[in-house]
Amino acid sequence: MNVRKTYPSGDRTLAVLQGADFSISAGETVSIRGESGSGKSTLLNILAGLDRADSGELFWGAEAAHKLSLGELTARRGRFLGLVFQSYYLIPELDAFANVLMGARMIGGIGAAEKARAEALLKRVGLAERATHLPTQLSGGERQRVAVARALMNRPRVILADEPTGNLDERTGEEVISLLLEVCAEEQTALVLVTHNPGHAARCARHLLLQAGRFA
Amino acid sequence: MPWPVYLAFKQLFPSGRRVPFFTLISVAGVGLGVALMLVTMSVMGGFGHQIKKMIIDTQGEVQVKARVLLDQPAAAAVEKVLAASPDVQAFAPYASGMVMLEYQSRPAFPAIQGFDYAQMKKVVPLERYLTAGSLDNLDDDSIILSSLLARSLGVRVGDVVSLYSPLALERARQNELLLPRDVLVAGIFHVGHQQLDSSTVLCSLRLMQDLYGLEQRVHGYNVRLKPGADEYAAAAALNRQLPAAARALTWFEANADFQAVLAFERNMIFFLLTFIIVVAAFSITSSLLVTVVRKTREIGLLGAMGGRARHVAACFCVQGLFIGVAGTALGLAGGFALLHFRDDLVGFIARLTMGPEAFAKFYQFSSLPAHTLPLDVMIIIVFSVLASTIAGLIPAWRAAKLQPVEALRSE
Repeated sequence: MNVRKTYPSGDRTLAVLQGADFSISAGETVSIRGESGSGKSTLLNILAGLDRADSGELFWGAEAAHKLSLGELTARRGRFLGLVFQSYYLIPELDAFANVLMGARMIGGIGAAEKARAEALLKRVGLAERATHLPTQLSGGERQRVAVARALMNRPRVILADEPTGNLDERTGEEVISLLLEVCAEEQTALVLVTHNPGHAARCARHLLLQAGRFA
Repeated sequence: MPWPVYLAFKQLFPSGRRVPFFTLISVAGVGLGVALMLVTMSVMGGFGHQIKKMIIDTQGEVQVKARVLLDQPAAAAVEKVLAASPDVQAFAPYASGMVMLEYQSRPAFPAIQGFDYAQMKKVVPLERYLTAGSLDNLDDDSIILSSLLARSLGVRVGDVVSLYSPLALERARQNELLLPRDVLVAGIFHVGHQQLDSSTVLCSLRLMQDLYGLEQRVHGYNVRLKPGADEYAAAAALNRQLPAAARALTWFEANADFQAVLAFERNMIFFLLTFIIVVAAFSITSSLLVTVVRKTREIGLLGAMGGRARHVAACFCVQGLFIGVAGTALGLAGGFALLHFRDDLVGFIARLTMGPEAFAKFYQFSSLPAHTLPLDVMIIIVFSVLASTIAGLIPAWRAAKLQPVEALRSE
């Protein structure tokens, strides 16, 4: 609520977010569009607790996240949020299955239930046959599908997707967006989709346009 | 398995791929350093062990030394203590000093030790070191020369040499003339110790007492302990009972200066060799730093997924630790293998260079000694693993310092 963020730029101060208000309900899908430099990624970083706002409030559910330390935010982030990036960011030494499972591994270890969920998610994103493939052996679209499965692994309340189709061709991008929307609906997970693509944005239930650090 | 450990292993041994070159080189670097340290320290230990054995063989485990001289009553008191000691197997009196030895106008100034052969052979296996002649021929008119001394003078068994005692100087002050004593060379010995082999003369106790005018007095006793007896405890026990005129010393204390030189050499070599592992550790640091830079965005991802900075740091520390453990294990295996085949290796080098006979002649050994001390192995293990782990700390610290949002943004 009323999030403000500035960055020093030479002798000046650049106001990237100037009182942006944003909320999302359980299971809701929201798209955020805006020109380059409009503050989309900054907002997403603040929502993810990766960056601090200069002022304003951030709530993860009922919890006042803006009052938590960065360490506390890190500890809660793995359970509350799932992140999907434009460049996939899969761990190159791990195969697809291990990449999906990594999210669970990082928040408290894995057992049979976690392995079963990772298998199910890989199956759901259509990569059951490619579970043992390394990221370098997968296409861009397949890598992003693994990233989607990884983001869902810990049953997060919200998925933040930062231009997830930016590195994909149009058809593959469509497939990934469809997949994201479908699995979020199935899992009752809210989705914040940052995109330049009006077509992809239109497929979300709510559409927001960020202009000069404020929602239009 | 905690995720930092899991990820560290996966980065060292990625699924479905060959072991990365970085891992192999780092492990091999540490292994090489450990193997070299183990072999060098073991060979140094081997020489030290041989020298210890030689000293004990030629002096006994304990020496009882007179503060000046032991006259007959004092010697009797010492012998009574030695005979009553439960640790002592045998003992023999000796007298020692310096003489001038002359052969065909060539002088030498060796140390001389006189002993009672009948008693001394129970203490010191002198016959083992005799290379020419016989100890049975040793009487009050004959001597045994050390090998290098005999060689430098050109003396052989059966030659006659002249001995000049310092007593001659004392007599000269009283306007008396003491003629040199002509003695027969009855044997030549070689123990493999430069100092002893280059300037030592052995003779009967009576001859030594005559040369120095000692009458019945002696300088001390060589003592052989019973098998299993501890020389330090035995010496301490003897010192509690010996008369004030005498003091028991272990073989180590009696040769403290020489042992200090040996220990210094050994420590210096160890110190210099540690740099090999330090260099290997620097290469680990360098490689892991490159990894941190290369994986900046992955490190950012780990933070974004809920990984704490200390866990990210642990991931790189574990890699350093693993390289240290694997390299140390490899180095120990390689080092022990080298030690096992050391004689074959020395033989091979000898064949390639000067030939085995010349090698044995110049270096005075045909078999390379080795004695590995468990403490040395422990020190090498701890040092190597510690250095490798510390090497992982700098990259770990760099990785932990990265803010996820900055790292994810990096190009």
